Amino acid sequence: MTSTTTDIGASGAGGLRSWLQRYPFLPALVIVIALLALNGIFSPNSLSFRSITGLFSTYMALIMLAIAQTYVVSAGDIDLSAGATLSLVNVAIVVLMERWGGGAGAVLLALALGVLIGLACGLVNGIVVTALRLQAIVATFATSIFFTGLALYVMPVAGTPAPAIFWRTYGGRLLGVPFVFYVLAALALLLFLLSRTRIVTELLAVGDDQQAAYQTGLPVVAVRIKGYLLCGLFSALAAFCLTGDTASGDPLVGGKMTLYSVAAVVLGGSALAGGWTTVVGSLLGALTIGLVNSLVFFIGTPSEWQNFVQGLAILFVLMAGVLAGRRARA
Amino acid sequence: MSKLRLNGVSKAYGATLALRRGDLEIAAGEVHVLMGSNGSGKSTLCKIIAGSVRPDGGQLLINDKPVAISGPQAARAAGIGIFYQELSLASHRSVEENICLSALPRKAGLFIDRAVLKARAQRYIALFTDVAGEGFHAEALVGNLRADQRQLVEIMKALASEAPILIFDEPTSALDRAQVDRFFEILRGLKAQGRGIIFISHRMDEITAIGDRVTIIRDGETIDTLKLSETDPGTVIRLMVGGSSDMPAARSSAPAAVTGEAEAAISVRNLSGKGFRNVNFDVARGEILGLGGLHGQGQSALLRAIFGASPVASGELTIGGERYDAKSPRDAIRRGCAYVSGDRGRDGVISGRPIIENVTPIHYLRDRLMIARPSRLRDKAMPALEAMHTKFASLFHPINSLSGGNQQKVIIARWLIDRPDVLLLDDPTKGIDLQAKSDLFALIRQLAAEGLGILLYSSEDAELLGNANRILVFNGGSVTRELTGDDRTRYNLYQAAYEAA
Repeated sequence: MTSTTTDIGASGAGGLRSWLQRYPFLPALVIVIALLALNGIFSPNSLSFRSITGLFSTYMALIMLAIAQTYVVSAGDIDLSAGATLSLVNVAIVVLMERWGGGAGAVLLALALGVLIGLACGLVNGIVVTALRLQAIVATFATSIFFTGLALYVMPVAGTPAPAIFWRTYGGRLLGVPFVFYVLAALALLLFLLSRTRIVTELLAVGDDQQAAYQTGLPVVAVRIKGYLLCGLFSALAAFCLTGDTASGDPLVGGKMTLYSVAAVVLGGSALAGGWTTVVGSLLGALTIGLVNSLVFFIGTPSEWQNFVQGLAILFVLMAGVLAGRRARA
Repeated sequence: MSKLRLNGVSKAYGATLALRRGDLEIAAGEVHVLMGSNGSGKSTLCKIIAGSVRPDGGQLLINDKPVAISGPQAARAAGIGIFYQELSLASHRSVEENICLSALPRKAGLFIDRAVLKARAQRYIALFTDVAGEGFHAEALVGNLRADQRQLVEIMKALASEAPILIFDEPTSALDRAQVDRFFEILRGLKAQGRGIIFISHRMDEITAIGDRVTIIRDGETIDTLKLSETDPGTVIRLMVGGSSDMPAARSSAPAAVTGEAEAAISVRNLSGKGFRNVNFDVARGEILGLGGLHGQGQSALLRAIFGASPVASGELTIGGERYDAKSPRDAIRRGCAYVSGDRGRDGVISGRPIIENVTPIHYLRDRLMIARPSRLRDKAMPALEAMHTKFASLFHPINSLSGGNQQKVIIARWLIDRPDVLLLDDPTKGIDLQAKSDLFALIRQLAAEGLGILLYSSEDAELLGNANRILVFNGGSVTRELTGDDRTRYNLYQAAYEAA
């Protein structure tokens, strides 16, 4: 499907398709709005400013992780260790903050180190997948176990609390605006800047057709490693948000988030095969998962059925989104 | 002084020697044509120059200085730009991004300078205004474009390299007349600037229109370089064919016609589909009909369509006198069609499974077999495999343990358990050794003698000449010539294949 001879469709297609091609996250946006509306119907309170703030602070970690995943998916790769990277950074910064006394300086230093750890995890993945030419899906599964092992070494049991200054800031307000919205604004700016860099275009070109990109003269290996570095960076940022939200360290917290991040990427309208991705879509995809979860709660699903209904709902949303996205591309 | 010189460059893929001894010399300000039949090594030679294939031996000189090209990036840095025959485009990126992809302009060291990118791309897009066709603009996604428009993007991309040495590997195959004319105008401009241009095409008229000199490659070896103004197409074709073109050996060794009034095994009337149009022929029982011509002129597409593996747009097919609509390979098999592809990995081999499972799937289908006893299956499989002289340790070894030739024999054997009426051979000897090839063709001739109608497409002309009773030469998707009797010579085959489409 990535060959250059793939017919994406006849030229001069209808207006809807060209819109979808320019803004591939549109179906995801419609789904998010629909889910918001449904949430509002079943629980009017869920649309209050307070609830929306809560939604963002809870799911900001998944948003970041989905964006992390998007960059590797752009190049046709995948990172099944993103969640484990998140766990590792989570426990590392909590332990470091605690060791260094929990002051503002300690927190900032720990965060800086957290970013480095995330980048290091990304580099390991990048080298394993591109230089050693192992299958991304298996290789990153292996590194995920490896990273989890490290996390368990750093913090064998969950529960060490993060310093109050850290989670109070994340959960608090600055100049009357919840801090999480500053995070969101900073993220938007970062994504905007990244979208104008060479690396994103190059990642997409590699994901489109790796052989063609190589023949074009792109440094394919370096580009893919950079994709994993971006993934590591955003996984670290995801860990910061998670730590702010849970206020504690947990060496296994990210494991189950990995596949949610992959699901969010697809829900957002990106193609897992690469070459066609949207970070805004991934953000919306993560929100979709959050909104589905809260909707399942609000409609009063008995607790033993919640997972079942969640799964069904995500499957349904996935179908709707993928069908719309396919129409845009096919 | 020469811009580019290749001395004795060679490349082997495993046991296959793609290029034995490539010599080439490009002067500044010339369009140098490379000619050779399918698989003669032209594309390999170009890819070696462009760095996307590493040579095993030989020397490459640019401006008389030896250079080592380690990859496409290095080639670009050394001043080489290339148009890839199979295109090197990112289908989800826009036209302008594709044109500039190899060197995206930057500002502030970090961001893409969209304004510069647009301006740069626009220069090359402007070269083809009026001829690019509807829907072609800078922001269009390449995947949304027509085949000819994509080819134009690849041309623009090669031009945008602004390299002193430019390689065009079949750049005109999908272009229309006006687009080719515009492209040639541009090439003449580049020539005047003193660039060195390598040009590959299979259309003789184009070659004489734009070329200055021609280098002929045969079986991976450079044969000769001639000035086009001092030669004629006949000489060039004779060189491509080899000195023996008029010798009896170059004539077909197969009998000219099938004896008697044999009934038609398969008839095709006005058949059209994706890649071929208006094809007509009858194959009598016992006849081997050869499909000739350059690679990808519709021969494979036709065979796959007959087998139901790709749709037929219009026309009529009859097998054994009965109308038959090729809907799926399943149908085709039930009606007695057999299809053997040279692309075993994709179309034939059930990878990793034992030989017996690879011999019997057709038998399962034709006999609607539900439960099978291995011992009874073995009795059916063994004669078929023995007929092919297949060498294998046991029926339960995985098929991957066999050589390419023996794998192909297993694939053919699967059709022999229940005799088909029509055998479709789609370049069946691709990548197999000589011994296996001669075994194969001995069997194919024997099958014909037993009354099968056989359609044989081969990219090796010798195989067609040696086995086919008649040869239909394909060019641009339709049959342009039928060679029968004493007309079946190598020279005629080449000439028909290289005629302007």
